Amino acid sequence: MREYDYHLVEEVRAGRLTRRQLIIRATVAGLSASSIGTLLAACGGSSTTKSTSTAASGPIKRGGTFRLGCAVPTGDVDPVFLFDQGSIFTAQLAGESLCKRMADTSLQPRLATSWRQVGSAKEWEFKIRQGVTWHDGKPLTVDDVVATMKMLTDPKVGSSALSAFNGVLSPDGVSKVDAQTVRFSLDRAYVDFPYTVSDDNYNSIILPVGYKKGDFAKGGIGTGPFILKQLTPKQGATFVANPKYWGKDAKGGALPYLAGVQVKYFNDPQSNVLALQSGGIDIDPQMAYASARGLYNDPNVRVLELPSSEHRTVPMRTDQAPFDDKRVRQALAYSIDRDALVKGLFGGKAKVGNDHTFAQVYPFAPSASEVPQRKQDYAKAKQLLAAAGHPNGITVPTLVVEEFLDVPEYAQLIQDQAKGAGINIKLHQESQSIFYNKVWLQTPFAIVDWGGRGSVSPLIEPAYTAKGIWNSSHWKDPQFDKLVAQFDAEPDEGRRKQIVAQIAKLQNDNTPTLISFFITGLRGVRKNVQGIENGPVDHIDASKVWLSGPAA
Amino acid sequence: MGRFIAKRLGLSLITLLLVSIIVFAISDVLPGDVGRSILGRSATDAQVAQLDHQLGYDKPLPARYWKLVSGYATGDWGTSPVLNTEVRPLVLRRFGNSLILAAFAFALIVPFSIFMGIVAALHHSRWPDRLISIGGLSLIALPEFVTGVILLVVFAVQLGWFPSSSQVPTASPVDWFRQLLLPSIPLMCVLFGYIARMARAGTVDSLRADYTRTATLKGLPRRTVVRKHVLRNSLLPTISVVSVQIGYLVGGLVVVETLFAYPGIGSLAYDSVQANDITMIEAIVLFTAVLYMLSNLVADILYAALNPRVRLAS
Repeated sequence: MREYDYHLVEEVRAGRLTRRQLIIRATVAGLSASSIGTLLAACGGSSTTKSTSTAASGPIKRGGTFRLGCAVPTGDVDPVFLFDQGSIFTAQLAGESLCKRMADTSLQPRLATSWRQVGSAKEWEFKIRQGVTWHDGKPLTVDDVVATMKMLTDPKVGSSALSAFNGVLSPDGVSKVDAQTVRFSLDRAYVDFPYTVSDDNYNSIILPVGYKKGDFAKGGIGTGPFILKQLTPKQGATFVANPKYWGKDAKGGALPYLAGVQVKYFNDPQSNVLALQSGGIDIDPQMAYASARGLYNDPNVRVLELPSSEHRTVPMRTDQAPFDDKRVRQALAYSIDRDALVKGLFGGKAKVGNDHTFAQVYPFAPSASEVPQRKQDYAKAKQLLAAAGHPNGITVPTLVVEEFLDVPEYAQLIQDQAKGAGINIKLHQESQSIFYNKVWLQTPFAIVDWGGRGSVSPLIEPAYTAKGIWNSSHWKDPQFDKLVAQFDAEPDEGRRKQIVAQIAKLQNDNTPTLISFFITGLRGVRKNVQGIENGPVDHIDASKVWLSGPAA
Repeated sequence: MGRFIAKRLGLSLITLLLVSIIVFAISDVLPGDVGRSILGRSATDAQVAQLDHQLGYDKPLPARYWKLVSGYATGDWGTSPVLNTEVRPLVLRRFGNSLILAAFAFALIVPFSIFMGIVAALHHSRWPDRLISIGGLSLIALPEFVTGVILLVVFAVQLGWFPSSSQVPTASPVDWFRQLLLPSIPLMCVLFGYIARMARAGTVDSLRADYTRTATLKGLPRRTVVRKHVLRNSLLPTISVVSVQIGYLVGGLVVVETLFAYPGIGSLAYDSVQANDITMIEAIVLFTAVLYMLSNLVADILYAALNPRVRLAS
């Protein structure tokens, strides 16, 4: 056992870490399944790992085409540049990353078999899986991995992953150690780095040496369970099973089970849902509550739910009046009825938030005793406003929101609820393309949507630190930045948990943004679909999917 | 007749040029940015600016317009920076798909509407007339997305008779109906109202005309009067209306194709506007304009063929 392994066992024995949390953290550190088993045995007690995939009924049936419906990709599907739902679901059928983020935020090996810190969290080595072939039959090599990572981190290429690698990894930090090992020398210590090269960072799909923009969409590129045969822009994509896929099921049988996958793009989420109900598609992998609502009564469809860290922030410019006064921001936070929001916006399919980024899905999320849950309290809100010099209420800058799912409705509820505390809010709505082209970083008061992430740093660093490129609230606190850097560099799980509590308290107390809820991911599947995992909902793994009964 | 067509073609070219300028100018002031559409929100402003520069989107408007239009002159429709693909094959294929859908809807609804219009006229002011006229007007008032969703829920989801998302049909006529009937009904609802009304009005006029009375008085059976004297005259205005409806169809197709996920020109237009893809928008609009003009021209020629006064006046 390594030192870190002992440390994990100690944390569990001392009651500072649950067994589930141990598993998650051990996978991030790169421990193999067998070593994790040893650790669990060392902790004592039963060692059961809960499977999150849908229970398979009867013997597995091979063959068949799995039909997936999702949003139309905004542009060309290219792993280096993609950023939207339709492209991600398309690319992930054929492409694979070094590791895969699972529903419980743990990491599983994919193209890397293991990984470890070398000395500190600033140096990482990943062992690359041997015997993997590209869809064209050539073997996967360390050179492919090195080339991909250099390309993704090169500012001249301008990949969509630049922001994820910003301040973490530069092209010079990627090197080949030997024929099986790649080394990442990071710009700073980062304990959760493996997430950045997992599919949690959806641009991290490994591509062959010499990859050129646009190659992927032509088909036949990747190592994954399915080979892209044809991609018709804006319409759909056809995949066939990769007969030489390296992955095996629990019994050593070949994967994937399916003969192929058909992806169909929908402009309109409503049409996507109707296609699922009528059997035109088998899965709508990621849906909003408004679309999924009708599916709960459909006997042919199952809705899989997975709590996530997806959320909305309500940034307030902390460098401009009136939100430069912390008490005004807090007054707004105290005027919000979070339970009502969860019920009204998501029919209960969300978890109440506490104005900090640590969703309950994270193994180190602070407890209510560490950061008390904020509740609607008009008296307190009025008192805060009065103390800030607004005894007769206040009219705040216009709340600018994007046209996106629940966001406009959320804005209206904030407007209604804030009235009770004497806060007057005017609303203004913009299309997404305008909102995310500069507006969101400049306007004094906005609502920003954030997708879920397996690790919390990609949600905190860009949005709350002084150097953060998406710091909409313009909040700058040296103490906070220091804590975040410590959190990223701290290997000790107990101390990490303490730092998290401090970070969460700072966020909650300063309230640069409201975080009222974390949205539960919803995935709609036809009843005959077996072996699909319930999440993360923004990712797809169809390698173990099979279809029972007739594909109606 | 030759001069008539030549003159119309010349005018069409000028119109096309104007359309291309207007569309380009409007697309340019559309909020949003091509670089931002391609890179997404996670890209920094510097990255977006760099890409805009690479694509030449920071050049002045006239320069970009000239590049595009001079391309058209040589048959090059340009490359979509967003999709990273050539525009022409995509637009032509999508257009072909839409044509199949539109032709299907037209083939079903035009004869039916004309027939119903004539029936209404022959029963002027009696209950068949009332039924057809009021029914037609009500159908016009129903937006495509309302009829479309109702049809989808009833026939695709509840009854399961039709697919909820339509593909381009195979050669089999059964498949035509399976794939195209549902999406064409919302289009037909709107078209029915217009065409039936025009056919009815034209027929009512012709029935009252002197030549009809003469024909009746000289002892021709009613069937012959209607077929030989009434219809030929009453169909003239209807033909103009049908050709004008082709313009409506493109708008209606945007809604219907989006709803039924049908890979036509309408849904492509919708996507391209969303993504600020000017090259694609320009190609779609120009191609539609060409088609619209051609259909008007054909209607005019038909009209002239049926009506000597127009033919000779030109």
